[in-house]
Amino acid sequence: MKRRRGALTPYFFLAPGLLLFTVFRVYPLLDGLRLSFTNARLGRAQQAFVGLANYARLLDDTRFHTSLWNTAFYTVASTLPVLAIPLVLAVALNRGVALRTFLRSAFFFPFTLSVVTVGLTWLWLLDPVVGPFNYYLRTLGVPVRSWLADPGSAMWAIIVTTVWWVTGYYLVIYLAGLQDIPRELYEAAAIDGASGWRRFWSITLPLLRPVLLFVFVTHIIGSFQIFGQVFILTQGGPGDATRTVVQHLYETAFANFFHFGAASAMAWVLFAVILGFSLLQFRLLRGHTEY
Amino acid sequence: MLTALMMGLAVLWLLPAIWVLVTSLKLTPDIVRVPPEWIPWPATIEHYGEVLFSSSRTARIGRAFLNSAVVSLGTVFIVVVASAMAAYPLARMRFRGRGLIFALLVGSLMIPNAVVLVPQYVLTQRLGWLSTYQGLIVPEAAMTFAFGVFLLRQFFLTMPRELEDAARIDGAGAWAIFSRILLPLSQPVLGALAIFAFRSAWNDFLWPLIAVNKPDMFPLPVALALLRGAYSSESYGPIMAGATLSALPLLVVFLVANRRIVEGVRLGGLKG
Amino acid sequence: MSEPRTGVTRRHLLAGTAAVAAGSFPIPRRAAAQAKPTISYWNGLTGADGKVMDGLIDQFTRETGIRVEQQRIQWADLYAKLQVAVPAGEGPDLALIHTVEVPHFASDGILEPIDEATTGGKGFRAEDYLPTTWQGGVYQGKRYAIPLDVPQHTLYLNTKVLREAGLAGPDGKPRVPGSRDELLAMAKQIAKGDTFGFAIGTVNPGKYTWGFMNLLWQNGTNVYGPDLKRSALAEPAAVEVAEFFGAIHAQHRVAPPANASCRDAFIAGKLGLWIAGSWNFTGLRDAKVDFAVAPVPRLFKQPVVWTMPHQYTFPKPRVADAAKRDAAWTHLRWMTDHVAEWTLKAGQVSAVRKAHSDARITADPVLKTLLAQAPNWQGGQPTPKWVAAENLMRPVIETVYIGQRPARAAMEDLARQINALPE
Repeated sequence: MKRRRGALTPYFFLAPGLLLFTVFRVYPLLDGLRLSFTNARLGRAQQAFVGLANYARLLDDTRFHTSLWNTAFYTVASTLPVLAIPLVLAVALNRGVALRTFLRSAFFFPFTLSVVTVGLTWLWLLDPVVGPFNYYLRTLGVPVRSWLADPGSAMWAIIVTTVWWVTGYYLVIYLAGLQDIPRELYEAAAIDGASGWRRFWSITLPLLRPVLLFVFVTHIIGSFQIFGQVFILTQGGPGDATRTVVQHLYETAFANFFHFGAASAMAWVLFAVILGFSLLQFRLLRGHTEY
Repeated sequence: MLTALMMGLAVLWLLPAIWVLVTSLKLTPDIVRVPPEWIPWPATIEHYGEVLFSSSRTARIGRAFLNSAVVSLGTVFIVVVASAMAAYPLARMRFRGRGLIFALLVGSLMIPNAVVLVPQYVLTQRLGWLSTYQGLIVPEAAMTFAFGVFLLRQFFLTMPRELEDAARIDGAGAWAIFSRILLPLSQPVLGALAIFAFRSAWNDFLWPLIAVNKPDMFPLPVALALLRGAYSSESYGPIMAGATLSALPLLVVFLVANRRIVEGVRLGGLKG
Repeated sequence: MSEPRTGVTRRHLLAGTAAVAAGSFPIPRRAAAQAKPTISYWNGLTGADGKVMDGLIDQFTRETGIRVEQQRIQWADLYAKLQVAVPAGEGPDLALIHTVEVPHFASDGILEPIDEATTGGKGFRAEDYLPTTWQGGVYQGKRYAIPLDVPQHTLYLNTKVLREAGLAGPDGKPRVPGSRDELLAMAKQIAKGDTFGFAIGTVNPGKYTWGFMNLLWQNGTNVYGPDLKRSALAEPAAVEVAEFFGAIHAQHRVAPPANASCRDAFIAGKLGLWIAGSWNFTGLRDAKVDFAVAPVPRLFKQPVVWTMPHQYTFPKPRVADAAKRDAAWTHLRWMTDHVAEWTLKAGQVSAVRKAHSDARITADPVLKTLLAQAPNWQGGQPTPKWVAAENLMRPVIETVYIGQRPARAAMEDLARQINALPE
């Protein structure tokens, strides 16, 4: 009797979480796959099986292709700044700068704002006529433009906004990682006459590897589903220059067409892309980390 | 030298946030000006009064504040309890399916929330949970749960076995070990997880945007986004006041728990 | 600026403290709450007009005891929410929508039809209304809506900007352009540095479909051909409009960049001539801008003025509630009887003719101008696909505006997309 109870104990502890996880993560994921083969619409009671029709339509949907491309561009283009800027700041802060707590808080502050606040603020800052940003550029004699309305710069403006928003979060994570690197390693390297750069490359970076990987993966997953910034800043414009997959999905399902089947197909294409990417990443990094 | 450089950068970094605060204190006719004015004088707090207390106007930021608080605290509670309970056996017990369950949970971290958006909406609608607190809290908690398990398991793994053995000799059951030994020792990590869950629930935008149809139930980010109206200067004041107010709870949490966040992140899963 | 604003603030604070004491909710007046129902009312009056609506509704509640819970979110989001909320049984008791939304909401079963016996019984009669607004509430022979007012375009002239550009008469009054060439010439004279001569639209002038439609209608064409089936946007008349739209910023540099807020530019004294909605003018007065208004100039074949009447509608409830429906009707009746106040304070010309002769309205120079435009008013086309077509139009005309795509190719592509819309 007692023994059986002991055998069930782990499951008792797991039950609440697994129930939550199964009902609200696993089931929706599979249900989404089912929906992607139907013509389900919001508010329509019946739905019919339509086979691969939704996927076939995606092959012709040029706006979906554009949004996939934009999402990929954003993901690739934003990775280096999002990885590197907080790292540089963290290394600087870790070198015994005065007012560390204040500085860390200052950089972290934007991360406490919601994406909506961030978007609305930058929308105004970047306004081509009355926005402060362009005003100061003009004063400095720098040529200005409508950063969010120019297909060449709109996505970059979104990236800058995002960097401003998330840097503090990754900074804190890097700082935590840096604190775990034993001081003696640096001292030993200094005695050996290694330069600052050399110490960074051969001590800091390798020892930060798990942290870097965490930041990298977190950022990539976030990038694939970028929505809020685009929703507020450009609504996907100019034209479709900043239209992203999640925005396209949102509009298809909840704003313009209410077509749940088509939107689910998009979700699964996105899922497949991410899965492929993850597998690739896993292969590339296998053996190098302890995850 | 480095300090001065970093100070300059930090001030520059804060400028957009300062702009929000400054705008929220300006009189309506003073808000749109070229060149930009950084000192809100004459200052007013009427925008705060308007967003918090005005009764017939729909920009019920006060109400949205309450909604956000209920949803975020509810999410934190579920995430912390469910993740801690699940992480305990995964870290410290041997049983069938352990590897599989953990692999599934970690694997799910790779799935963006957007992928389950539509079916999650269908499910929530079928449960009759649209525009309700539970309809926001439970899916929100489900999104953060796997991360919580991951974070806490890593920490639980580092605890010395002897603690448990000693308790077991004293006749303590699994629940007693969990609640009287493990949890109290895990406070920093639990705190970090709570803050993480609070922030992601407080700031989430996409799910409440679609799962709430009654404007009375909008949480802050949705209320702010839909308040922007025709993006005109007369709504800047209230919007920026609302934005400032919505940042306050997290700002306080961060200032109070500044150390703890770094510590929690450090103790948690990052060390692999 | 000399207003005692601190007093207002203190009052807000006091009211707020009371509200907090009562658990953060507005306190219902006990007697009223028991006797009269509370109705929920959605609208997109997010501008200065919203505050006017608040004032009128407060007065309505004082006089009738019926409480109105307004939910105000900007139009595009409001429509998406309405479409989702009503089938879920979470719609409001009353919703204000634009005329062009009536056909698709009616055909999607979002709105409840109203029989003519009811409208007649409540005292709403066709002969009291401007015919186009009254007709706008009908879809396929059934009535779904009762009109409130006629939001419309007008030309705003920034007196200070025009004066500085030497475009004011000896009396100091700004010169009014009479033709496209004259407008462009004036705009070029104004445009300099960060000051722009001419804009059409509010925010995102490059995406402002309502302004683009106004130009289309002036050129005698429209989104759909007369059969309401095929798009007319690839035809020469529409392409000509697109070419003008693509030239004002990208070529002539007289119009602001695509992501500018024209409204803010006008307030900040960075914009001279501005074709925009009548709902802006009370806000401009509040912001203390020195401006004048003139009728929308004739830029193409005919001096058509874009309008988009607001209509009161009853979204289908899950369970009928006669008391709430009655209260909603009472509100409609009351607003219709007080529509002159609405016109005066919110700047929206009423759909009911009687208010047009109100002495206070005819004495206001802006409202007089708006009323004088009446013979040239035109509205959108009555097809359920109108709104979907408008959504497709937004990104395409933006690429034209910023000069990314040539007008003809863009219009042909747009027409193709519109023709491919599912039934």
